[in-house]
Amino acid sequence: MNDNQMILYIDTRRCMGCRACETACKLENGLGAGPRFTMVTEVESGSGLDERLDFLPIPCQHCGDAPCVKACPTGALHKRPDGIVLGDDKKCIGCHECLWACPFGVPQFGANGLMQKCTMCYQRLDAGQRPACAQNCPAQAILCGTAQEISAILRQRYADGNFRRPGV
Amino acid sequence: MEQYHPIPWRKHEDLDKYAVAKNAPVWLEGRQVIADRVVKTCCPHNCYDTCGELAYIKDEKVIKLEGDPDHPITQGHLCLKGCANVQKINSPDRVKYPMLRVGERGEGKFKRITWDEALDWMVDKIQTIQRTYGSQAILEYCYSGNREHLAKAVAARLWNLMGASKLVGSFCLLSGAAGSFYSVGSQYTMDPQIWSEHCDTIFLVGRNCSATNPHIYPFLYRAKERGAKLIVVDPYATGVASKADLHLRPRPGTDGAMALGMIHWILKNGLEDKEFIEKHTVGIDALRQLVAEWTPEYTQRVTTIPKAQLIQAAELLATTNTHFETGYGQQRYTNGHQVQRALACLAAVCGSFGKPEANYDCISGMGFPNITGYAHWSKVTNPEGAQIPKTRLVNIAAVATAIHEAKDPPIKGVISYRGGLISQQPDVDYTIEAVKSLDMFVTIEQFMTDDTDYADLVLPACHYLEQYGLHPSYWHNYHQILVPVCQPPYECVPDLEIFEELGRRLGYGEYFPRERTGLDYVRMLIGEECDVDAAVSPNGPVRHSEKWCPTIPYQDGKFDTPSGKVELYSAQMAQRGQQFPGEFCPVPKFFEPAESTYATPELAKKYPLNVISQHPAFRTHSQYYNLPWIKEMEGPAKVFLSRKDAQDRKIKDGDRVRIFNDRGELRNIIAKVGIRVRPGVVELSSGMWVKLGGSVNKLTGVYPAGPRDILSENGILSEYQPLLDGNTGGYFNTLVQIEKM
Repeated sequence: MNDNQMILYIDTRRCMGCRACETACKLENGLGAGPRFTMVTEVESGSGLDERLDFLPIPCQHCGDAPCVKACPTGALHKRPDGIVLGDDKKCIGCHECLWACPFGVPQFGANGLMQKCTMCYQRLDAGQRPACAQNCPAQAILCGTAQEISAILRQRYADGNFRRPGV
Repeated sequence: MEQYHPIPWRKHEDLDKYAVAKNAPVWLEGRQVIADRVVKTCCPHNCYDTCGELAYIKDEKVIKLEGDPDHPITQGHLCLKGCANVQKINSPDRVKYPMLRVGERGEGKFKRITWDEALDWMVDKIQTIQRTYGSQAILEYCYSGNREHLAKAVAARLWNLMGASKLVGSFCLLSGAAGSFYSVGSQYTMDPQIWSEHCDTIFLVGRNCSATNPHIYPFLYRAKERGAKLIVVDPYATGVASKADLHLRPRPGTDGAMALGMIHWILKNGLEDKEFIEKHTVGIDALRQLVAEWTPEYTQRVTTIPKAQLIQAAELLATTNTHFETGYGQQRYTNGHQVQRALACLAAVCGSFGKPEANYDCISGMGFPNITGYAHWSKVTNPEGAQIPKTRLVNIAAVATAIHEAKDPPIKGVISYRGGLISQQPDVDYTIEAVKSLDMFVTIEQFMTDDTDYADLVLPACHYLEQYGLHPSYWHNYHQILVPVCQPPYECVPDLEIFEELGRRLGYGEYFPRERTGLDYVRMLIGEECDVDAAVSPNGPVRHSEKWCPTIPYQDGKFDTPSGKVELYSAQMAQRGQQFPGEFCPVPKFFEPAESTYATPELAKKYPLNVISQHPAFRTHSQYYNLPWIKEMEGPAKVFLSRKDAQDRKIKDGDRVRIFNDRGELRNIIAKVGIRVRPGVVELSSGMWVKLGGSVNKLTGVYPAGPRDILSENGILSEYQPLLDGNTGGYFNTLVQIEKM
């Protein structure tokens, strides 16, 4: 993975499962029911008096070494220099190979049968703005940037050790 | 292709005057689209946050909504419903024109009619009912679908002129608000920017912020980054409970007992704020006597909260600067008023009032601007020079009972807007029987809901983005006035204008001048209290003045109770109890909710599970349920139950189950087995529609919470004081049984 790889990072300490990212994404991308570019999963964890839920939105991970790109037989998927994985409708044949390859179940197939997925709102990024989900997140749990940029934000939030994992 | 006709009596306003920007670019589907204008407004749904919004309009359609980044609380973020408004307002399923029923009630068969025909029909029906039974046979039904207050005030003007029965009360939170009012008097909330910078502990009771108050999170996290601890009280493992340092899970309906147990421990160990109690409270001896029996052991037995956890929480509350944020879930039981009283007393014992690091926030009085006087209500509702006949009051927390039982005259005509009567009132079948007994049931709706199926006449309502509105938040202290961001589509008419035109046609034309706009009504209501222009797009939001929303509430140590202090013993409450039936114990004694394993052991043998219904993130009550985005995210109706209860019934995760009691049943609900609820408790989210098969109100009973016992009066009152009499729907004291299908 390159140093300049763009990452959509989920700060799970902050995500609280409000699912605003899901409709913000639908609205931004003009999607009806069907394709879902991000989905919040809820996981039950803990035990005894410490039973709780963990939340994890799963957009495209834009993997450093993306299996979907390797799996695509027509070269419809590619990684930009900044690491964003994008598909090309003109080359996609709707074969679903990318879905089989993806460990996260990200590729979606709409009414036209072609692959669609999270683009990290690259057009917004290119214009200096944040992806729609990151922009809208009420908890500011979705961060977008290079590893260094994200690390700086996390350090500011947590490095002093005051914000602890739940539990007195 | 259907034709839509212009409505000659509608006011047509140029909306460009509200534009924050014109010809402004906005991102949509990876491109920058040029919107004709951008307008600032806010969301008036029944929610703590009251988000500032920017609406992007192209060809008189809302193409995008974004959070207003200049709003100090909501900071440019919307919830999932906020974004989904674009799908809602542009939905092809909207009610587009007036429709008259042609089938039987409940069949949902209608024919299209014109607005003139609809209003003629209504005038004829209303006048026939007035002639036959008198004006008090007419009643509005309205709640918080759009919680803005303007249309309600204009409607009240008409009902007052007519002498119709008057709808009062709440089935949401007035029990808690009354319990609080007896304790502390006027209620204020402290800006979250303040407490989040100063408190050591946050005590959050009965509020699932992830679903109903997401904009509190940056402040909760800011406090946690400073090292503050979060204690959450909720029987359900909510999103916010999952972020808590300590999660207390009382048996449903026992939060009041928990508070008494905490007070017991604090007093017994001398951890109380002695100076605050001495200077600013009355009745500590009575409270001390009340909590004497609430030892940790006894409290554990009643609430099921382990006593070690209870003690740990009580000590944190009392020995650190604790800010209280109480929600409304804990008071949706018949004992709700005393639950909230107990929490207010707990805050007083901890000294959590009037400091930047600690305040007791229940609800801001701005949530009831007509009660507090912020809105000069009678200026709109009681037109000068008009004779306003004295009329009877009908409490919304028992509205179906009132329709069933009213005599001299009966209730024969109901005009319903901004509320789902059938889906939201408890005991669906009982409500439907009430609706069927009416001679006239008119609904003003955006979609074909449970109510419209039973209506005689359906009128096409506007989305909130298409109308004016006045909706100060009941949580934070910033105010944006709603303006129409675009012209209404089809033949939809803003609620306010429907009531004006109906008034004119009923012969009250002089009281509904045609030139008056929504903003003029806003000025009538709050012009003396607020710089209206500063709160209207392109300006706003504004912070309320100190008079209405003090920066640090109660800092001067003044409480406008009869004693001027926090009343741990409320003589006022005892006095009210001598005038009206109800449970007006002057100290916050705990009693069991109307239905529970302890209160009704015989019933609990048949129906051993207590169903609670939280407000999910997907809906505001019953709204948004029908949208494709929401249906896709939420999936089919689910019931959450514990592993033990599932095993006992041989139910596996994903099984279809039947949930039932004597009032009704739900079928084909998907069982979700896990940790979210404890044994004995099940959760079914609220607001699902009856006709789509998951409405929890098929199971709930009519159990209004106190203090006043309005059921003994059939919900029909001659005098009523909201903050003294209270009332809330006791939705959560409901017992059910579940079986595998």
